[in-house]
Amino acid sequence: MTAPKSLALDPMDIARLGSMSVRARVIVEGAFAGMHQNPHAGSSIEFSEHKEYAPGDDIRRIDWKAVGRVDRYYIKRFEDETEMRTFLLVDSSASMGYGRKGVTKLAYASYLAAALAYMLAQQGDPAGLMLFDEKTRQFLPPRTRAGHIRDLLVALEAAYAAGRTEPARALAEIGEIADRRSLIVLFADLLDAPADLADRLRQVRSRGNDVVLFHVLDPDEVELPFDEVTDFEGVEPEDARRLLVDPRDLAASFARESAALRERWRTTCVEARVEYRFVTTAEPPAEVLRAFLFARQRARK
Amino acid sequence: MHFLAPMLLLGLIAAVLPWIIHRIGRRRARPVRFAAMELLLRAEREVSARRRLRDVALLVARTALAAALPLAFARPFTEVRSDLPAVTTHSQSAVIVLDDSASMRRRLHGDETPFDVAKARARDIVEHLSPDSEVALVLASEGSAAPVAELSGDRARVSAALTAVGGSARRADFAAALRRASQILTGSTRGDRLIYVISDLQATGWEDVTPAVLAAGPEVVVLDASGGEPWTNHAVVGLGAEPAPEEGARGIAVVAEIANYSAEPLRGLGITLRLDGTEVARGFVDVPAAGRARKRFVHTVSGVAHQAEVEIDHDGFMLDDRRACRVEASRGLRVLLVDGDPRTVRTEDEVFFLEAALRAGGSNFSVTTILPDDLANRDLASYGAIFLANVARPNATTAAAITRYVENGGGLFISVGDRVDADTWNQTMKTVLPQPLGLKRSASALPGTRPEGETVDLRPAERLAPIDRRHPLLAAFPARGEGLASARFFQFLLLAPVPEAPGRRIVLRYENGAPALVDGEVGRGRVLLLTTSVDREWTDLPIRPGFLPLVQEAARYLAAAPSGDATATITVGAKREIVLGADDKRIEIVKPSGDSRSLTPAAHAGEQRARHVVLFEETDEPGLYRVRAARADGTVDERPDAAFAVTLDASESDPTRLADDKRPDRANARGAGGPPPRRRLELWHALGAAAIVLVLFESLLTLRFRRGRVKV
Repeated sequence: MTAPKSLALDPMDIARLGSMSVRARVIVEGAFAGMHQNPHAGSSIEFSEHKEYAPGDDIRRIDWKAVGRVDRYYIKRFEDETEMRTFLLVDSSASMGYGRKGVTKLAYASYLAAALAYMLAQQGDPAGLMLFDEKTRQFLPPRTRAGHIRDLLVALEAAYAAGRTEPARALAEIGEIADRRSLIVLFADLLDAPADLADRLRQVRSRGNDVVLFHVLDPDEVELPFDEVTDFEGVEPEDARRLLVDPRDLAASFARESAALRERWRTTCVEARVEYRFVTTAEPPAEVLRAFLFARQRARK
Repeated sequence: MHFLAPMLLLGLIAAVLPWIIHRIGRRRARPVRFAAMELLLRAEREVSARRRLRDVALLVARTALAAALPLAFARPFTEVRSDLPAVTTHSQSAVIVLDDSASMRRRLHGDETPFDVAKARARDIVEHLSPDSEVALVLASEGSAAPVAELSGDRARVSAALTAVGGSARRADFAAALRRASQILTGSTRGDRLIYVISDLQATGWEDVTPAVLAAGPEVVVLDASGGEPWTNHAVVGLGAEPAPEEGARGIAVVAEIANYSAEPLRGLGITLRLDGTEVARGFVDVPAAGRARKRFVHTVSGVAHQAEVEIDHDGFMLDDRRACRVEASRGLRVLLVDGDPRTVRTEDEVFFLEAALRAGGSNFSVTTILPDDLANRDLASYGAIFLANVARPNATTAAAITRYVENGGGLFISVGDRVDADTWNQTMKTVLPQPLGLKRSASALPGTRPEGETVDLRPAERLAPIDRRHPLLAAFPARGEGLASARFFQFLLLAPVPEAPGRRIVLRYENGAPALVDGEVGRGRVLLLTTSVDREWTDLPIRPGFLPLVQEAARYLAAAPSGDATATITVGAKREIVLGADDKRIEIVKPSGDSRSLTPAAHAGEQRARHVVLFEETDEPGLYRVRAARADGTVDERPDAAFAVTLDASESDPTRLADDKRPDRANARGAGGPPPRRRLELWHALGAAAIVLVLFESLLTLRFRRGRVKV
């Protein structure tokens, strides 16, 4: 299932590409290159079901062959008629701006969001975008019109990390907008996420939405690889916390704490029937996207 | 605190280096804006206490190490006040008299003894003496050698001698020690000549230190090593054995004398008797305050010679809590009496009184009486002693048999009378006679005062001169010779003058100076010659109280069979003479500690007796000394008859303290003058050791720290 090396570019290579649209396309193509079946191929034009005609239905979709066989009027329904609105929520708080050796978490989340948006646009599915910190910084509702994808990618390219994070508030806001068949994809580091995020996830999921949580962390936040005395300081506004320490003393304890954080969110998501995907910014985005798509395809079957 | 090299203290600046390195390290810390601060702070909370403790410990260890090194190189020292007299620091010639007597071996606190204190004080003196002073070391115990017998400026030598010297069990003799110290100082030309006496100030040993002795010698400084606390003591001060007829012929009674030197009576003091190392009896004894008590143990023994030891419950001075002696059961000595003047009237018989004395109750002698003509038919070797009483003319055969018997170790008692032919005796018995027989002499002097109750006999008579109790025969008699002093001698034989000969001693003399009883050695045997009769013809000695013990002791003496432990118990330091048996080639003596010494008689000794005697001098341990003999055939046998006990001088048990007015330094104000000297206490050795410990500690800590990181 691994993609060819040339197509599964690592985040730094992706970052060097010209624009977000190119990045999105490269990621999507890299992801699909490793799959046995292309989910894009006619998925939206495949027959889905018959429905007995009712006044108001489009007469162009009457299945005349069926009328000939059973002498009754049936309307053909196709996949594209089961369209799914997707909301891409990208945490743009200051903590997402951390990236010591590679790309920042925000950039990485943007690549994944752009790739998903690009892929959805190719399928004709509407995709929306919300960039948020403690408030909604930018919101683009899901649309299928031409040009929408360009606006979305531009917004992602222009995203910057600042402010505190309140993913629960952003999720609540999307929950009000999304209908029952929406797909909500949240990209966040969840380092300082409040406890009510779990409640909000359950709430949104209970309304019939499909929710995916991409837990994005920098490798430094999984293990503490510093090897000299370091003066650590918080990144978010009003975070005055500082710690002057030899990180080698804390490495083991930090790794345990980080693993515990991930395990806590994974458990929370399982309980809320939310798909949890942990990624680090060192992983090739195409691999991450492919794994995500493959898992969903298999789940649909 | 002082320093020998204070400039090196500048190195203390290095002590701040760990702090500076620590501070610089923190300042150079790279700032990082980090998103996962919450995780970081949680991790920090988990390890902070341990990490801070380690950081502080490391910092302190490194700082202390950096400070300890320059401090040690600066050679710090401090001065502590010494309790020695001020005069110690003067330039002088000094002799240290160290009391190593038995009482110095008691315990003060824990295992420390006054002797330990005394040695420490002696070392203090040696250290404090000015560099140009000279010092010698003398021991105060009786008969001991001086470890450093001449003045020496070599402190190391004196210190080594002090270290090597051990406490003895001997009695103190300060008069001799002070004389020895004075002699050593005689050779010194210095103005300051001092004798330092370090002692527990027990009164024992100071008896002979008179003002005259002190006036003639150098100044004496007395240092007290007693620890300053009063000493109470109880001790076994006497131990003897005697027959116990109530227990039969093999019954013995061991009598111990216990002294209580405290002001409180002792109730139920435990006392144990051991025979040949086995505990055979245990009892209790009450001893009055400042008094004595006797404890008598009765026991039945099977052999002849045994070793008895009595031990009481221990106090601080254990050396005198036990005492030993040799116990001999009566051996039933065979004695042959040769009656040279038999009579039909029993009381007029020559050997009547002799036989009666030897057969007296409890003596346990087996007595056989024969006529001179029967001597040739007797196996003389089976008798322990032979008495020839008024035998007229021993023929050649008889004389040869008797001579052979004596030379092979037999004992012969010769008494004379009116039948004795002196010329024949001088010819045939020349070898065995200690002195040739001379003319018969009748006493010319009238008897002196008549003791009350004395049988009146107006014949002229001689009396005995005062006796010399040093001879074993007379050891049992009172000092003034009661029992013998009243005897009168009407007639006696004079002895021909001969040159002084080793082994011949005049045991008793008449008042006119003529010998009455002569002791001589012949070969390995012994001969006693009584110059008067043993019946009442020439003397009334046989009816005097002293006759019975004299005859019995003579029989035992001749047979080399002492009656009790009198000759088998000696005081610590005394010499012990051991007579070899006929087949003994070498004597091995086993000390109470188990060490043994092998002794061989000097082959070149001119005196015949010396070839059969060894002299043992290493009697410094109280207790029982076993004797083993290596025979000619190579076997080694125990000689219980030769075993002996060495006991402590009882005066060493007496805790009476020397009176202040008897102290030789009382009239001497010099010792107290000036401030007491101060002693230098070097600290750099301890600092060096501390630095090594710090290095180890720092290394261990760092190693643990690194191992902890590896686990990450």
